[in-house]
Amino acid sequence: MLYPEIVIAGCGNPLFADDGFGPAVIEEMQNLSLPDNVMIVDAGLGGPHFIFTLLDPEVTKKLIIVDIADFGAEPGSITKLRVEDLPPGAYRDAHSWDLAEPLQRIKDRVDITIIGCQPARVTSPEFELGLSEELQKAIPKTIQVILEIIGVDYGTTIKYLQEERQRGTAKSCGSTETR
Amino acid sequence: MSKVVEISPTTRHEGHSKLVLKVNDAGIIETGNWCSITPVRGVEKLAVGKTPEQVPKIASRVCGICPIAHNLAATEAMEASIKCEIPNDAKMLRHILQLANRLHSIALHNILLLPDYYIPGTETKINPFTAEEPVRTVAKRIQRLREIGQTIGQIAGGDCIHPRNTRVGGMYRNCSEQAKTKMYDLAKEGLVLAHAQSEFMIAVIRSYHKRDFVDVGGMKVPMPKDLGYHNQGYLATHAFYGSSSLDECPSWDINRFKEVRPWDWYMGEMEVSLEEPRYPIGGTTKLGTKVNPQMEACTGIPMYDGQPVEVGPRARLVTYKNYDEKGTVGQNVARQMEYQDCLYEMIDCLDALKTNGKVVADFIPDGDGSLGWASNEAPRGTDVHIARVKDWKVQYFSMLVPTTWNFATCSAALRGAPWQLAEVIMRGYDPCVSCATHMIVLDEDNKVVAQKLIQ
Repeated sequence: MLYPEIVIAGCGNPLFADDGFGPAVIEEMQNLSLPDNVMIVDAGLGGPHFIFTLLDPEVTKKLIIVDIADFGAEPGSITKLRVEDLPPGAYRDAHSWDLAEPLQRIKDRVDITIIGCQPARVTSPEFELGLSEELQKAIPKTIQVILEIIGVDYGTTIKYLQEERQRGTAKSCGSTETR
Repeated sequence: MSKVVEISPTTRHEGHSKLVLKVNDAGIIETGNWCSITPVRGVEKLAVGKTPEQVPKIASRVCGICPIAHNLAATEAMEASIKCEIPNDAKMLRHILQLANRLHSIALHNILLLPDYYIPGTETKINPFTAEEPVRTVAKRIQRLREIGQTIGQIAGGDCIHPRNTRVGGMYRNCSEQAKTKMYDLAKEGLVLAHAQSEFMIAVIRSYHKRDFVDVGGMKVPMPKDLGYHNQGYLATHAFYGSSSLDECPSWDINRFKEVRPWDWYMGEMEVSLEEPRYPIGGTTKLGTKVNPQMEACTGIPMYDGQPVEVGPRARLVTYKNYDEKGTVGQNVARQMEYQDCLYEMIDCLDALKTNGKVVADFIPDGDGSLGWASNEAPRGTDVHIARVKDWKVQYFSMLVPTTWNFATCSAALRGAPWQLAEVIMRGYDPCVSCATHMIVLDEDNKVVAQKLIQ
């Protein structure tokens, strides 16, 4: 099977500034060694076509999606959402085949958590590279939340990893809250 | 007296587009305009000044379903500009990655096509998500084929969506002997499924096109035998992979290519004078709505030797295999014929792959500013990227993606068909509209006019 028991997918487009949050989290997570039953994927814009419609609920039990979500909080705040919180999608085309529709199909058989981060700046349709500072700072916190969900205790190591990347911006550590 | 009908947005493909159709009293299309309404984003500007390593990564993000084709075409355009020849094993890995992507894409397109067709011998249309037989077996087979494609792509490319293994100068690493065996096993399993799936699809496609009437939203629509015919010609650069040299591929000469503004090709302002509420998914556009394809179309019109041409599976089969079936039926059948082709070719590439061979070129030049291009035969057709690299900085970058070619060609193919079947013709091109509008448009004097479109 392509996808193992736990799948973590970072969704979004790095060409639209903060929309690249999901792929950025995945890039950071590639530095961690994770159990064999966990797969991290940079889904880009292809989540619905390449992952959500291909999961086998017999094998995959947990799906964690990292994306940006506008829930009216301070930029960089993160929240956990359930599939029910997403607007209903429709099977009309591969494009409007957005997050919601294929997820609705599997939500009763796969445990789905969506970790949404409030963006500061999404430049669509104009291209811009790079996350805003607030979202950059939200990455370690997001990874901690993910590790908590999948039950991986990185002990003190994750703290060292964080400190390393936060060097110079130490104050920002822990400034974002989980709602 | 001609009437104007608009189908917006079109469905079951990637991106946002619409069809504006001028039809006669019998509902037959006199002039059809298929236009992209996805905003132009000008990825080419963003690429200037970046390193050749960054640009393929940027290019692969313009679309959700074609990242592999864009990644490969952009990487090879950089290599063509800096004049870097990559080792054979790296080439094989790229070929495997590209074929795996195509396998997945054909299977995904099957899901998008199937709701148009009937279960053979019945009057029931196919719902690919039903749990009932015989569709369930087909749906499972499609899923397995997609899975096989994605798994092979993941092994060869490092990641199945945005490949991490490709780099300017070759690949980051070769695969292990075990990984090669796994890909081989998967390809052999896929081959059996691909034969069965392609036979099934060809049967339903043919039975659909042989019908006298088909049902569209409760309307009984006559099925013309020449649905989707056009005389625009074809363009393909390789039977399955692509090329970056004129010596290797004399059929694609960049000097014979020209891109013009949509203004000259599309219809001007009109008013919708035919509305059909029964048309699937919410009916057609309301009566009296103003439409203006000239101003709304977001792509340029690329031309080869002065004419728009068709790219895609049929173009490949016509160019390299003497395939001669025309129309929408020919196009969809050609795509299914590529199923087995993908896997046979993949097995050949796996045979040729030496897992102990080097995959990075010994010397990767910084580039002297020469113009390089690379075409990649993406699932939907020829994807050409053009680049100029000097001192390891990209000076110029341009993408000419498959669906852009097909917009004008498909518009010509709409003529003579009942308007209710316009979307069936369009779907035959397996369009990816969001890719098609990430580009700079040149006018007849090769001046940049994209600014106008972006405003």
